[in-house]
Amino acid sequence: MDFSLIDWADIWQATWETLAMTGFSLLFTILLGLPLGILLFITGKRQLLEQRGIYRVLSLAVNVLRSVPFLILLIVMIPVTVILVGTSLGVQGAIPPLVLGTAPFFARLVENVLREIDRGVVEACQAMGASKRQIIFGALLPEALPGLIAATTVTAIALMSYAAMSGVIGGGGLGDLAIRFGYQRFQTEVMVTTVAVLVVLVQALQFSGDRLVQHFTRK
Amino acid sequence: MIRIEHLHKTYPLERTARPAAGIPAAALSDINLHIRKGEIFGIIGRSGAGKSTLIRTLNMLERPSSGKISIEGEDITALDNNGLHLLRQRIGMIFQHFNLLNAKTAAANIDWPLKITGKYTQQERAARVTELLDLVGLSEHRDKYPAQLSGGQKQRVGIARALANTPHLLLCDEATSALDPETTQAILRLLLDINRKLGLTIVLITHEMQVIRNICDRVAVIEAGRIVEAGDVAEVFLHPQRAVTRSMVAESAPAIFSAETAVQPSALAGITQLRGLLVRLTYVGDITYQPILSSIAAATPALITILQGTIARIKDTPYGQLLVELRGEPADVAQVFATLDQHNIRHEVLA
Repeated sequence: MDFSLIDWADIWQATWETLAMTGFSLLFTILLGLPLGILLFITGKRQLLEQRGIYRVLSLAVNVLRSVPFLILLIVMIPVTVILVGTSLGVQGAIPPLVLGTAPFFARLVENVLREIDRGVVEACQAMGASKRQIIFGALLPEALPGLIAATTVTAIALMSYAAMSGVIGGGGLGDLAIRFGYQRFQTEVMVTTVAVLVVLVQALQFSGDRLVQHFTRK
Repeated sequence: MIRIEHLHKTYPLERTARPAAGIPAAALSDINLHIRKGEIFGIIGRSGAGKSTLIRTLNMLERPSSGKISIEGEDITALDNNGLHLLRQRIGMIFQHFNLLNAKTAAANIDWPLKITGKYTQQERAARVTELLDLVGLSEHRDKYPAQLSGGQKQRVGIARALANTPHLLLCDEATSALDPETTQAILRLLLDINRKLGLTIVLITHEMQVIRNICDRVAVIEAGRIVEAGDVAEVFLHPQRAVTRSMVAESAPAIFSAETAVQPSALAGITQLRGLLVRLTYVGDITYQPILSSIAAATPALITILQGTIARIKDTPYGQLLVELRGEPADVAQVFATLDQHNIRHEVLA
């Protein structure tokens, strides 16, 4: 392997694209997945707004989306993506399928984190005369913050690996670079480098996530 | 203050998961209670007796299936959602496991119910929080998180939080059951103190007779969803009628003997042959510290032997209970009984 053949500007560019895809997708995943997760939680059995019908529908939708292999989702989504962002290629084109693929996953994580909170806390808030809205936003979400940050970290890392996969259908970033140069042109050093960069990024994400969790944990 | 009439609560079968019989399990049946303003009312029962359900109906955390509960004249079973929120803001509640918000400091936990009402400015709330921290003796711990506090301190935060909106009623759900005996005493003293200082009515549930004995004015005993006995603590404690009450009294104060155990030879402190009457004397109040027995002994030729006895306090009331052997001529014995009656000392001939 000859690492002098690598175009570092390309690697640099691809790294930024990967970060951009992950970052924007994460933002939309949270915007979509957090409310969905909260809804799953509160409509669940014996919870604040128990609504079996709604829960079943949401739960089924989440399960269906989660069972579609991401690669298939990428391909199926192409027409929708074009409508949404005007192209199915590059950084922009990767974001809609990434969000659709991870938002249900994140929602499930959120639901589980909220379930871990002691029911007694909810009961205490009810006994104080808090409204449901006050209980959710004033008590449940602050109590769940460390868990939610941990869930976000897991989701961000999953997004990063999905983002790399989107290189297969012309998404940008490190995955695209790895496929075009590393795989199709047999430039093993590019493959190795992109994987190394991804390892570093994932480590950095996990590390910062853990630090944040630690910072907000009051136990 | 609180009037409970014909309260029933049944759970749908699914929740209790009782395979036996096709009838829904009754958690509470036909509860009737009147709780007076300013008193500390205890509800005691074994686990699963329904006491937890009962106390939760007082702020509608559990909806009764039928019956009526009125608090300060207001029928709370008829309230809509908004009315319920307002009612609950006027009722404080503390819990066995404290149920504090772990993500909030002690001060923020106390501030939270004030915030909920939306009635106070930031300054008013801050002043009230400081006042409450002081009341429960936690001023120097205001910025600590629950995880940094001991069990007793957590319960103090719980109490301050419950008192934040100056309730007229405080509900205590096994408030001391997770605490060690020393801390339990401190928390009970605090509750008693608050009850006296603020004139607050307190309803508490517990499985420990000790708690009832220490701070309650009146008590109701609950068994299998029914109130089986109720009355002044001294009365229930000294003359328990039901088996369940007797056994709970015996656990808290083994020295107090019931009518059954007394006649067994083993209870007679080694006296196998009774030469007179076996009499149980019970007296409550200031008379406990008066030399009644010695004046009786001086006035009659009857002989009194103390076999077993207890002098202690129920809340602030001293009481004594003695098992004595009384020997003498019938006339002398009758005179002893008359003197006892005169001093309001209850006497029961057991054998």
